[in-house]
Amino acid sequence: MPKESVVTLDRFDRALSYADYLAGVAVNRDQFEHNYHTVRLTDDDVAFFKAAAARPSGPAKILAIAEAWCPDVFRGLPVFARIAEVSGMALKVVARDENPDIMDEFLLNGTARAIPVAVFYTRDHRYIDHWIERPAVAHAEIARVRAEFSAAHPTVDVKTATGAERQALISFFDARLPQHYVAWQVETIREIRELLASAENRTAGRPAMVPAQ
Amino acid sequence: MSRTVPIVYTIRGCDACVKLLEKWDAEGVAYEERRAELSQAVLDEARAYGSAVPIIVWPDGRVEQGFNGHIGCYII
Repeated sequence: MPKESVVTLDRFDRALSYADYLAGVAVNRDQFEHNYHTVRLTDDDVAFFKAAAARPSGPAKILAIAEAWCPDVFRGLPVFARIAEVSGMALKVVARDENPDIMDEFLLNGTARAIPVAVFYTRDHRYIDHWIERPAVAHAEIARVRAEFSAAHPTVDVKTATGAERQALISFFDARLPQHYVAWQVETIREIRELLASAENRTAGRPAMVPAQ
Repeated sequence: MSRTVPIVYTIRGCDACVKLLEKWDAEGVAYEERRAELSQAVLDEARAYGSAVPIIVWPDGRVEQGFNGHIGCYII
């Protein structure tokens, strides 16, 4: 994070609420709605996020960077929305491709414009930390399935396959990944809890918070 | 009448898409661009051809994905 963030208080305030963002998306609205309804926050999750949001230096605001065409966004952004709802955090959404300067502050590994991003701020708009794209377990499962496909189809390039080869690739992935999507939401919640707990412990120097169970 | 120019499915903000079209523009290549983020119908069309934009559908039916070794943005 540069010292002078382009995410000013005014810019945060002018970003869209989740409801307004969803009302304006041209694609995948059904996917956002489906994934919103599959988010499951435990009582412990709810208590954690409420307590975090209530602390003076805790996360009171979330800025999400999104694009509705992106599968990771229609899977992840509804998780941010549910966290905001149960905790009272203010969630605002900006479009990645209309806000390249904001995106550039939160690049994955300093290079990739991976989305969604959830940036957490205190009530007085101090940056806390941010989470990017998808949980580690999702990265691992996608890589594993891709490797399995390549082993079964050694002549097919998974990145450029077209026609019948691509249909085989999609069928292979469809048979192995969608059943994990709810678990990825659970992992997203767990990783965000861990992120916020670490940030609190780092800044407050107080006894460790209990991270996600 | 059959098509004589390639269709290219793109998304604004996709670097590989931008670079492909910059190259084609510089070379004077004629094409029909279809922006996948602007309509569900176009996004669904693009998904029928590939997993990531840019996706090029040539007049002879051949389909290519990515540009110059870059995969672009996943849409599925």
